[in-house]
Amino acid sequence: MAKRELIKERVPTPEVPVEERTKSFVEVNLGYDFASAIKEAERCIQCPPEYAPCIKGCPVHINIPGFIKALRENSNNSNEAVKNALRVIWNDNTLPAITGRVCPQEDQCEAPCVMGKVGDPINIGKLERFVADYARKHNIDEELLQEFANNGENMKGKVAVVGSGPAGLTAAGELAKMGYKVTIFEALHKPGGVLIYGIPEFRLPKEILDKEIAKLIELGVEIKPNYVIGKTLTLEELLEEYDAVFIGTGAGTPKLLNIPGILLDGIYTANEFLTRINLMKAYEFPKYDTPLTIGKRTVVIGAGNTAMDAARSALRMGSEVIIAYRRGREDMTARIEEIHHAEEEGVKFEFFLNPIEFIGDENGKVKAVKFEKMKALEEKDAKGKRKIVGTGEYILLEADTVVIAIGLEPNKVISEEATGLKTNPNGTLVVDERLMTSISGVFAGGDAIRGEATVILAMGDGKKAAKSIHEYIQKKYSSA
Amino acid sequence: MGYRITKKENLSAIDFFMEVEAPHIAHSWKVGQFVVLIADEKGERVPMSVYHAEDGKIGMFIRRHGVTTFKLWYEFDVGDEIFSITGPLGKPIEVKHYGNVVFVSDAVCAQAESYATLKAMKEAGNYTIAIQTFENAANTYPEKYLAKSVADEHYLTTEDGSIGIKGHYLDVLKELIEKDKVDIVFGGGKLGSLVKLAELTKPYGIPTIVTVRQIMVDGTGMCGSCRVLYDGEVKFACRDGPMFDAHKIDWEDAIKRNARFAKQEKLAKEMYMAKLKEKGVI
Ligand SMILES: Cc1cc2nc3c(=O)[nH]c(=O)nc-3n(C[C@H](O)[C@H](O)[C@H](O)COP(=O)(O)OP(=O)(O)OC[C@H]3O[C@@H](n4cnc5c(N)ncnc54)[C@H](O)[C@@H]3O)c2cc1C
Ligand SMILES: Cc1cc2nc3c(=O)[nH]c(=O)nc-3n(C[C@H](O)[C@H](O)[C@H](O)COP(=O)(O)OP(=O)(O)OC[C@H]3O[C@@H](n4cnc5c(N)ncnc54)[C@H](O)[C@@H]3O)c2cc1C
Ligand code: SF4
Ligand code: FES
Repeated sequence: MAKRELIKERVPTPEVPVEERTKSFVEVNLGYDFASAIKEAERCIQCPPEYAPCIKGCPVHINIPGFIKALRENSNNSNEAVKNALRVIWNDNTLPAITGRVCPQEDQCEAPCVMGKVGDPINIGKLERFVADYARKHNIDEELLQEFANNGENMKGKVAVVGSGPAGLTAAGELAKMGYKVTIFEALHKPGGVLIYGIPEFRLPKEILDKEIAKLIELGVEIKPNYVIGKTLTLEELLEEYDAVFIGTGAGTPKLLNIPGILLDGIYTANEFLTRINLMKAYEFPKYDTPLTIGKRTVVIGAGNTAMDAARSALRMGSEVIIAYRRGREDMTARIEEIHHAEEEGVKFEFFLNPIEFIGDENGKVKAVKFEKMKALEEKDAKGKRKIVGTGEYILLEADTVVIAIGLEPNKVISEEATGLKTNPNGTLVVDERLMTSISGVFAGGDAIRGEATVILAMGDGKKAAKSIHEYIQKKYSSA
Repeated sequence: MGYRITKKENLSAIDFFMEVEAPHIAHSWKVGQFVVLIADEKGERVPMSVYHAEDGKIGMFIRRHGVTTFKLWYEFDVGDEIFSITGPLGKPIEVKHYGNVVFVSDAVCAQAESYATLKAMKEAGNYTIAIQTFENAANTYPEKYLAKSVADEHYLTTEDGSIGIKGHYLDVLKELIEKDKVDIVFGGGKLGSLVKLAELTKPYGIPTIVTVRQIMVDGTGMCGSCRVLYDGEVKFACRDGPMFDAHKIDWEDAIKRNARFAKQEKLAKEMYMAKLKEKGVI
């Protein structure tokens, strides 16, 4: 093989200019076109798959050098190139348009990339996204779907999937491809989980999600919205009708700050704030019926993706925004790209501030947040973050809107009703190595078993559970 | 696919009855639980109490209040489909033998709950008493929609005395308590009255379970919009309620939180009314 020249710098992807994008919810990053994607793909030195660190860094082990190779091998025939690349990705991940946009690549595949040692790591996320977007625009995913769809063999067995987030969607897709009859039950009126109600349009356009879900329907998956399992139907009722059940109910319960003033008007949980905006389109009120009040100055508490999403949404609704975090900059858990975009758009950051009280006006509306200033010790905690302690100094930040984005816990609707379903003390469901819960035939994955995690981990679980469900049902019918 | 409207009927000057095909909900609904509906694709998720769940249908009493409920009244007829209905949500109340069960109500949602609850309580062998309060005669429902048929004793009061007993359910309840006829009170309606209800029954130690209405979004415990202070702890009305022990609720906070969007809603309503006028609907 001829020696390649190392190109140290990434081929950039264009973005909507700041002034323009803060006025609307349009997607910020515009992604690669074919030519620039090929240029970026050319930078990959093609580590051998058995060694490639990027594959090891990906929670679902996408064959990254494989798809990059497929892309550039056919650089004179874009459709062919994308089709081959997509085929490689789909072997491990059927929602690349989503993961390409929301995965924390800098901590996963891109972190150990060999090219990162000499320059920028390969822009794997944007390449993945490019393949998915190009395929969708040119109907290449449709063609490939035929190839992946189960052709004729109908498996004996029906599976119920509870929840339509990334875990549920993936489990359903995998099982449908194997030939099972799958029904998804979703509590909300629209499928997608956090992807539809949490992550804003400027990061993940709804149109893309809708298209991914449409593919599932094409594969024969039935989606029943407005079904709250544990209420509308019990788990027991599902087990009477289905051979197996997959629970992908996520971690949908917001954690609240247990401090005075939590009930004041103007204080939202990130879930309420983002649901009103994303799912209910409150930013188009009164064209859409759901309102949202937002003031001149918003304080967002937290520093994860949820906090960034809330902050950038508040900004787009015309508010000045401060993110207040009790730790330091280096401990923020959000994706680098989101932190960067937030800063670019004018969100301000305040570190080492721990909220201790919300202060209201005479009408019961929030007007300020009182914080204790914190400082970091050298000593690390269990998560490897520096421990923080209070300094006894306090400050007030004025705010007429507050968004609390300090994390989520699993929703207990099912576990409260189905008493045989064992949970851990933190509310997550207990599962074995096959992802089977304490009830035979009931499997679970995603945030419901991990607590707050990521889209790709949820999808990985969905895929693994689908395999276990397949084995479980096969065994059931062969022994019957 | 939507959910077909099977009945719509005017109840009074401000309230109407609507029944929607929702077999998924009717199959599992229990007294104390509610539903969340969305009128059309652009609609808001609004909670509604259930009057009855029969033959795969959910009957509701609805007040012409703001955009959603106006839409339902002016734009939807029997045979049309609403966009979405989810449920049953919330925790059912315990239906068992208590003795003398009173249900007090002074607003649309509670009038629906009054019928539903007392029906179940009567079937469980209780002596049932309904006290239903309306503002005036024009707001009072036709007899078949009152809780009369399921109550051993039924009192209808109006605040202006234009029909029935002049006064509020609080007045009638006070008399019943003094006659020593009350083992438990259930109720709902205006939050302001519920505060007084809690004050009235507390010294007598009478268990008092009421609906705490709060503004909801999902209705499943996901968003935290409906939080209330209960016994010093934050609870979610949709998940932990909506019926709570009235003596443990921080009512002052509950009332404030429920008015959060008043300004926006008024604005939206005015715009919607103007649109209806323009179209000649009203
Ligand atoms: C605002 C926000 C931003 C995020 N950003 C990122 C990001 O950039 N990158 C990333 O990797 N991760 C991100 N995450 C985390 C990621 O979204 C989650 O880890 C992931 O969605 C978990 O998927 P899931 O399928 O387990 O559950 P969810 O996506 O939570 O979906 C669960 C679904 O189940 C439904 N459900 C719940 N209970 C029931 C029931 N009883 N019956 C029927 N249906 C039910 C819910 O309505 C929901 O639709 C973010 C999370 C939030 C909240
Ligand atoms: C558990 C519960 C049961 C209810 N049962 C009934 C019922 O049987 N019949 C009935 O007519 N109404 C009922 N309501 C109230 C009903 O949900 C609101 O009146 C409805 O949302 C009004 O919508 P709108 O667009 O017509 O009016 P809007 O102009 O939107 O609102 C008018 C008022 O309704 C309340 N409200 C608005 N949105 C919501 C919301 N999403 N959740 C809760 N309250 C809201 C607010 O106090 C607001 O000021 C119930 C509410 C709860 C919480
Ligand atoms: S580690 Fe980087 S250079 Fe090596 S194969 Fe993966 S993407 Fe290419
Ligand atoms: S309505 Fe969202 S938590 Fe109760």
